[in-house]
Amino acid sequence: MKSRRLWLFTLTSVAFLLVVWTAVTAIGAVNPLFLPGPGLLASSFVDLTLHGYKGYSLPEHIGISLMRVALGFGTGTAVGTIIGLGMGMVPLLDAFVAPFVEFLRPLPQLAYLVLLIVWFGIGETSKIVLLFLTALPVAAIAARDGVRSVPRERVLAARALGATPMQIFIHVVFPSALPEIFIGARLAVGIVYATLIAAEIIAGSDGIGWLVFDAGRFLRSDYVFVGVLLIGLMGLGIDRALSALERRIVHWAGR
Amino acid sequence: MQAWPARSAERMRVAAISILSGYWRTWVGAGAVLLALAAWQGVVVAGLVPSMLVPPPTDVWGAFIDILRHGYRDTTLAEDIGATVGRALAGFGLATLFGVPFGVWMGVDQRVASSFGWIVQFMRPLPPLSFLVLLILWLGLGEASKIALLTITAFPIVVSASQAAVRGVPALWIAAARSLGASPGQVFSRVVLPASLPMIFTGLSIALAATFSTVVAAELLAANDGLGWMVLSASKFLRNDVIMVGIILLGLIGMVLSRLLLFLDSRVVHWRGRT
Repeated sequence: MKSRRLWLFTLTSVAFLLVVWTAVTAIGAVNPLFLPGPGLLASSFVDLTLHGYKGYSLPEHIGISLMRVALGFGTGTAVGTIIGLGMGMVPLLDAFVAPFVEFLRPLPQLAYLVLLIVWFGIGETSKIVLLFLTALPVAAIAARDGVRSVPRERVLAARALGATPMQIFIHVVFPSALPEIFIGARLAVGIVYATLIAAEIIAGSDGIGWLVFDAGRFLRSDYVFVGVLLIGLMGLGIDRALSALERRIVHWAGR
Repeated sequence: MQAWPARSAERMRVAAISILSGYWRTWVGAGAVLLALAAWQGVVVAGLVPSMLVPPPTDVWGAFIDILRHGYRDTTLAEDIGATVGRALAGFGLATLFGVPFGVWMGVDQRVASSFGWIVQFMRPLPPLSFLVLLILWLGLGEASKIALLTITAFPIVVSASQAAVRGVPALWIAAARSLGASPGQVFSRVVLPASLPMIFTGLSIALAATFSTVVAAELLAANDGLGWMVLSASKFLRNDVIMVGIILLGLIGMVLSRLLLFLDSRVVHWRGRT
């Protein structure tokens, strides 16, 4: 009963905003350049889907962006996790690598994009390397903390039962650290996605982030709105996909 | 703290290292940085990579001294650092000022949470820079659109953290305080607020990091000063040494900002983890 009433609050709020938006744009109180109405957005979306934008269809723009995220995030998380596992198990390695990881992590990603473009050109390589470097420190720190939080008793028990260091790693440490590695991966994919959109805006010639920026330059604010909505939905989709994967693989987390 | 040394030799090594006081990590870290710098210098001097593309540390240091003395294209280094940090802190400050009370309100009152939660949840995963195009359309290219962008970057993070923090206060504590005769105001100021502050602070540190990332992106797109602008401008003139100076400064400022918040955290919410 109570949850239904709360649900009504959400519905009222959404409806209210939609009505105000429609009314304000319909009577022409705001310039459609600044705030396009719902009807205009719908027709622009159809238009984008049918005709694409500047040489690429809408699915192509979306696909290009998703492929970049997958490549950069995949490589960066894989390498970062390996480094982080090493850091967690060997304190000396941790001390050696930590300054670099801790420098890289709070460093605004776009700052080194400029350098990467000078080195690798404006094409795919610089973007993939950028996303690789974005994901790496996040994954490394998550894996390190995951290994560190493995209960000592579990390791000692396995060793007392005669497990070799390799067996301890495969059967005890890695599974125990995996939930935390996944938390790091979800954090990393969010940052990678935001960085990609920024990179496409600053130095792109395709992809969904570039579409928004280019449409903005030509004052097609209807396309900008559609693009921003799509970017939000894509981000939501990526996060949902990863959390579904997480539930499948580390189904024991929290238990 | 340290992982399980497997063999006795390793155990002895770890023991020896820990005897070298708690600072051994710092020394190893400093050694690693020096080693990396030396390798970087060596590789460039040996001609393995062109110094034009990868300026050696000595060139980067020279560029730093030069910018420190003469500034970069009509802006002094202090002005650029001030512009970047100032923008980040302005956006972060505004988001904190409005976001914490709003989030707490959402945490206390379910009806408010249901009315506005969906907007915050929609905004939170949106890459902030995708707003910038709209903000520039609405507010122009000046300072207002950048500050608004940074506020929008931090605001959903601050709101969700504050809401979750208040929501996470054990109902038992509130019930206990109330049964001991505390007024709603007292329950809020003596129980809810102290119990939720640690998590609110965690949210603030995440928000500050996001703001600092976004400010550089915004400066790359539309600015006439700031470290992000300096880096972009230097890239147009192939001044890779200046780019390196900018990157290193940004990294150091990022580290200082996160340390500062950690320090504030230990001062303000000194009861963290002891509730």
